[in-house]
Amino acid sequence: MSEAGRMDLEALLADALRPIEPPEDVAGRVESMLSAITEEAAAALGSWAEELSDSELDSLRDPRNWVRPVAAVAIGGVAAGALVLVEARRRRKPTGLRANASRLIGDFAGDLRR
Amino acid sequence: MNPGDTEKISKAELDREFSELYRAHLRDVYSYAYYRVGNHHDAEDLTEQAFLQAYRHFERARRESDGRPMRPWLIRIAHNLAANLYRDRARRPEANIEAVEPPAHPHSTERVVEGREELRLLMRKLEGLPDDRREALIMRFALGMDNREIARAMGKTDGATKVLIHRALKQLEELMDAERGDTLDE
Repeated sequence: MSEAGRMDLEALLADALRPIEPPEDVAGRVESMLSAITEEAAAALGSWAEELSDSELDSLRDPRNWVRPVAAVAIGGVAAGALVLVEARRRRKPTGLRANASRLIGDFAGDLRR
Repeated sequence: MNPGDTEKISKAELDREFSELYRAHLRDVYSYAYYRVGNHHDAEDLTEQAFLQAYRHFERARRESDGRPMRPWLIRIAHNLAANLYRDRARRPEANIEAVEPPAHPHSTERVVEGREELRLLMRKLEGLPDDRREALIMRFALGMDNREIARAMGKTDGATKVLIHRALKQLEELMDAERGDTLDE
């Protein structure tokens, strides 16, 4: 390709491929889309914060409302402890003379049946 | 604050920076979209989608740009969206002359007509180039991007981009010459 030919072609390309100004409504559409996203995000964050501050935070700050959760935690703790004890007892193997005697009697009764 | 700064910036500051980016490059993205898809309707949709995606990933892209211009990143988004839109070769747009005005030749009507014909021919031949060559020329001439920017937008090396543009121009000139030769023969 000659240098002059290249220059002509590049000039022609620059002329053919001029930048295109976007229609005004494109700018409007993109801007409103972006502000809608931003507002949506802000609203979501705001309502979440509001909910927390208006209802939950207020009630959490009031000591009169601490009785129920504290009682629930205490009762739950006692119940869980009791369950653990019962399970531990159930699993524990009997030991001692009485246990040995009862095991021997059981074995002897089994032999007689055979 | 530089875009490459690693410190966390506020959402408001990010939005402000994105707004600046959008204002600076709306015309670039739209021009690229228009020359890729060939009509205003799809170009508008593509531009809107490109900025939506850009907004979603702006914080990370800004961090990773390390202070380099963000235009190639924006154009790359538009490029990928257009590729998805026209993945099916059958849907590839026809050459579109809508936006191409005749070059300014104030001396004679005959030269204006000649100029218009030349542009029509050029646009037709441009559409006949392989996708990557055509896109590189759109970025160079419609957007005025340099080799480095084009390389970043296309995910190629600077050297490969230089070769790509050289071959695109060579092929285009050959196609134009062949057409002119055919016209003279007739």
